[in-house]
This record gives sequence, structure tokens and C-alpha cells, in this order.
Amino acid sequence: MAQRVLIVDDALFMRNLLRDLFSAAGWDVVGTAADGNEALLKYRDLRPNLVTMDIVMPERSGLEALQDILAIDPDAVVIMCSALGQESMVLEAIQNGAKDFIVKPFQKEQVLEVVNRVLG
Amino acid sequence: MDMSKYKAMFLSEAREHLQKMANLLVEVEAEPQNRNGIDALFREAHSIKGMAASMSYQQTAALAHHLEDSLDLFRQQGEITAEAIDHLLAGVDLIALLLEDIDGGREERSVANFCDGQLTPEEDSTEISQEVIQPSAEAERQIRLQLHAEVPSSAARLLVISKELAGFGRVLRSEPSEEQILRGGNERRLVVVIQTHLDDTEIKSRLANYSEISRVEIGSPQAKAAVASVPGGATVRVDTDLLDRFIGLTGELITNRYMLQSAAGEKNWDALREGLASLGRLVKDLHHQVLKVRMMPIDSVTARLPRLVRDLARRSKKDIRFELEGNRIELDRAILEELADPLTHMIRNAIDHGIDERGTITVRAWRQRDQVMLQVADDGRGMDPAVLRQRAVEKGLISPAQAEVMRDYDVLQLVCLPGFSTASQLTDTSGRGVGMDVVKAAVEKLGGVLHIDAAPGRGTRFTLKLPLSVAIIKVLLLNVDNKQVALPITRVLQTIEIERSQIQTSGKQRVFSFHEELLPLISLRKILNLPIPRAVERVAVVVTEVLGRKIGVVVDYFAGQREVFVQGLPSPIDRLRGLSGGTILGDGRVVFILDIQGLLERKR
Repeated sequence: MAQRVLIVDDALFMRNLLRDLFSAAGWDVVGTAADGNEALLKYRDLRPNLVTMDIVMPERSGLEALQDILAIDPDAVVIMCSALGQESMVLEAIQNGAKDFIVKPFQKEQVLEVVNRVLG
Repeated sequence: MDMSKYKAMFLSEAREHLQKMANLLVEVEAEPQNRNGIDALFREAHSIKGMAASMSYQQTAALAHHLEDSLDLFRQQGEITAEAIDHLLAGVDLIALLLEDIDGGREERSVANFCDGQLTPEEDSTEISQEVIQPSAEAERQIRLQLHAEVPSSAARLLVISKELAGFGRVLRSEPSEEQILRGGNERRLVVVIQTHLDDTEIKSRLANYSEISRVEIGSPQAKAAVASVPGGATVRVDTDLLDRFIGLTGELITNRYMLQSAAGEKNWDALREGLASLGRLVKDLHHQVLKVRMMPIDSVTARLPRLVRDLARRSKKDIRFELEGNRIELDRAILEELADPLTHMIRNAIDHGIDERGTITVRAWRQRDQVMLQVADDGRGMDPAVLRQRAVEKGLISPAQAEVMRDYDVLQLVCLPGFSTASQLTDTSGRGVGMDVVKAAVEKLGGVLHIDAAPGRGTRFTLKLPLSVAIIKVLLLNVDNKQVALPITRVLQTIEIERSQIQTSGKQRVFSFHEELLPLISLRKILNLPIPRAVERVAVVVTEVLGRKIGVVVDYFAGQREVFVQGLPSPIDRLRGLSGGTILGDGRVVFILDIQGLLERKR
């Protein structure tokens, strides 16, 4: 069965880019969310195998949403999407239980390497 | 004779020679008959050999000698072959590893295989480190690994890997430790000693999933020096004149102290005032001099670029010339450290998207009054404002009417908007615009400005305008009415939460008891003319001091502590009282730094 992924990013552009990337790799993009609150609701309903989580978002940030999700599912596999200059937040996220991270701009191969690695 | 005290000096000099060799090799690769280049390479190898031999580092000396021999041959032939460049670069990498061994107090690894069999160092080191161990028994294994130079957010990557390693068994030692990694920085090496039942092949294959790792070595941990010492980045060379100046200032401060002491003893207020004024001048001077210690030449980040360009050019099969100008220009260490990633990024962009098949990338730095300009230029296909205009309208970033009136220059700056890309296929790779927003954010965080200049067919120029030095301070972030402001930690005596019932009234002033002292309570919302919400049960209070008096400032809540680069405010905002500066947080938000005293004075 194909792996099921939830994409969380406030930018439509990034959501589409990741959606295309995962679809092309044979993944099932079960949902997308544009902020941290939506991310938690979608995670609860969809229970994906993997979440890609943007860090800076309106309403609830990716860091907060990460903790929300881990609170309802300690085994959740969440990957942070960061940009240059957000290293301190990435470090915090990993310390809090994010499995890995990818840095924008994405290289397709890198994204797939990271997701395959965490789902091992 | 005890040579150990020369070790640090040897290491630092040998590393400089190696860096020069790497850059020369890249130059000579582009111009195989460059006599001067080959001669210079020969001399560098010769210097390393001589230094290593006199320190009795046999393997390092043997390898340097081997490189010197091959270079001598090419010197006679007047030309250097392409395969030879690869071999020589591999040799340079291997010497770097030997220096790490020496630095960590370990025995140097053997170089015999490399010198005989023309092996690359990776193959070489695998061979040495693979000792036979019992598979199921628990054993202590030392894992040393290094990340590729271009891996972004290296500290976060090391943290992920260190967590992975922790899953292999019990971590006995780690250098850097997890706490050190969490502080961030540009560390690219990790040495971990774990007790594990996994054998070396298994560990290797699990780590092979990380393409970010350039090199892994596994071996038995050595006694105490097993874990490598912190690499050279943490030390600075300081001009002796500057040290003399420090000593001079210290002397003046001591004199000043006696002056203040006797003035206080005699209750001589005039002398005390005079003493305090001169203390003020001394402290200001000291601060100024200390900032100078932080200045480093820009080549501490640009020196690795020729090699980076060579490797990237090779991978993308393009023919790229690289020029570096002005690498003695000095900048604050903190700025330089932050520049490494953006520079790599712009260079990668230029290679991926700017240059088609062949071209030149130039990185130049120069001083312009009290700023440093840093430019990354390519002579590639450039960018067409007309295309950018159309794309910006399509993406809804600007309206067609705006597109009409925007100047070409302003249109070019649009590539820094998040989500803007000039690459035709969005999914295949970065796309010029997708990363430029983060470069722009990184530059602005440092108080700099990014300019983009391009024309179709005439290349692209990214120019960074950077301040010479920065002021980094620790601040407390405060939230009022959904806005964040910051207060320097040095101004914060304490943060407390008090119950509404603890607040009393004294005349018109609300007060509360703090360590048996009644302090006036002032609402930050009131000072800033923000709406006052309904009363809440608990209020967050920052205790600070204004004109020698403690006061409590009520805020909505505390939003954490940060280290920030403080920037002066531009005119006319700088005339507002109550703001001492501004800073840009990692996510791009601008936060003002409050001067509570100024705010209260304004209120009067």
C-alpha cells in the first residue's frame, strides 16, 4: 500500500510543489493543511504515515503543531520544512520529537531520501 | 626537546598551507600549464613536509613527501594531468584527516596504501578502520563522521544523526555534546563513542542512508583523547598591538577604580562625577576594542569556495571559472559565520540556473564607507524583467497595473518573494526564487541589504551590503496586544506572575509587594496606548529599574529569550523616544527593542 502523507505549509505554492513531488514518487497525499490548527485536525482524522511540517505559519506555528500531534500520537512521524536561518527552531523541533528535517529550497532527491529514511 | 607546545602552531599553519594547496589545485586544473601554480603547489607541499618531519609526524611527512614528488615530476613536464589533480586533491583531504588525528592526540593513520596504490582516502580509511569484532557481543565503538561542506543547517543535521546513533546503543561520549549541538553553529564533525551490539558493517550501512555525510570512520575508542578536540574555529589570532591596547586600558581602569574609591571615601562629589565620566569613556573604548577582536578577514568563509565551485561544476558537467577578489576585507565573526550558507546558496544558484554550459562566477568584497559590500556575480543567462513581470502577475504577487509602473530594478527584487521561481520546471530543483527569499532573510537578519541586478544574457549580480560589526545581545521577548517587543536581558531584574489579589492601590498608583518592597505597577499597554483588556486573574510582570527605582511592567505574556542582532533605527524612526533599536527574528518579523525609561519620559 502506498505511504500516506499530510502536507502542512501556509504557502499554496509549497503545498503544490510537495504534492506533485510525492505524487510523482507514488505516494498518496491524503491531505494538506495551511496552519497548525488545521494540521492537528487533519492529522487526527487522517492518521497519515508521515507529516511534512512548515515551521513558520500563522495561527499555530509548526513547532506548536508538532507538539500537538505528538501529544495525540507519540509515534507520529513528522518532518520539519525549514529555511536558511531557522536552524534554532529546527534544533528545537528535533529535540521535541521531529524525526528529521528538509531545508528549502528542496531538491527532489533530498526530500525522498529523508522521507524514505524516516519510514525506513 | 618537548615539541607539544608547538603542536597548535603546527596545526594552524599546516591547515593554512592545505587550504592554499586546495585552491591552487583548482586553479591549475583550469590551466594545466600554469608553471607558477605548479611551482607554488610544490612549495606548499614542501613546507608541510618540512614542518611535519621536524615535529616527527611520520605519516603526514611521508604523504607530503609523496605529493611533493609527484608535483616535482609535473614541474619538470611543465604540465599537470586531470587524473593527477584528483589524486592530489585526495591527498590534500587525507592530510586534513591526518591533522585531525594529530589534533585529537591519536596515532596518525597509515598512508602507505595511498602512496602505493593511488587509493582515495575514503577507501583507504575503510581499510584501516575495519577491525574484526564479534557481532553479537556488546562493544565500545567510536564513530567519527563529517558532513559535506554544502550541507545546510549542519547543527540540526548533526542532531538528527546523533539521535540516530543513540538508537544504536548506549552513548558513552559525544563531541560535540548534544547540548553543544543545540547551541547551533557551523560544526560539521561528530565523534561519538557508543556501546553497541551492532557490528561496524551494520553501523556503516545504516549511516549510508545519510547522503549528507561525507565520511565515516569506525574504530575502537582510544583512552582519553578518543574524542577530538574542538576544531580551530573557536580560536582567534589577535594583533599584538591590540593586546597592548587592552593592557593599557586595564591599567587605566585600575587607576580609575582608586580614584573612585578615594572620592567616595572623601564624599567628594565633584571628583566622583569626574571619575564616573572617565569610567564611561574607558568602558566605551574597551567595547570598541573588543569589537575589533571579533573582526576576521572574509577569506575565512571564502577560502573554501574554489573547491566548492569545482565540485559543483563537475557534478553539473559545466565549465566554470571562479574568481575571488578582496578576501582580506574584514568583517565581524558573527556576520561571517552567518554568511557561509547564503554564499553557498547563491553560488549553487549561479551554477544551476545562471550559467548554461560555461561561464565565470566572481565573488568580490570591498569596503564602502562603514559597510562591506559582498557580490556574487555570474556571466550567465541573467534574468528578463519582462518575464519576471508576467510571472509575478500570474502568481498574483502584483497586479497588472503595478507591473506596468514598476521599474525593472524593482521587478528583479521580486525573486526574493517566497514562492517566486524563474526555473521553468518547478519540481526538478531549487528554482532561483525559491531560495532567494531565505538568502534575503539571512542578510536582513544581520542588518544588511540585498540588491539584485541582472539583464537577459548579461548575467546576474547579487550584492550584499553588510554592516562591519554587529551588536549581539540577549533579549526577553514580550507580548502585548499580539505584538512582540523586546527588552535587553540586562534591563530585566526578574520576571514574575502575580495574582490580581496581590495588587494594591496607593493613591492613584497601583503597587505590588516585591521582596518586602512596594513597587509601582505600570501597564505596557497603557504606555503604548493599546486597548486595555478586561481584568485577568494572573498578570505577567517584568521587574526592571528606571532611574535607579525598581518598577513592575505588566505585559500580556513572556515569549521567551533570544540572542539577537541589534540594528540602529533609520531616520525618522530613530527620533522616537522609547525605542533603542530593532531586530529581525529568524522568521522575518521585526521586533523593536524598548527603552522603558525613554517610554516613561515620553509619557510625561
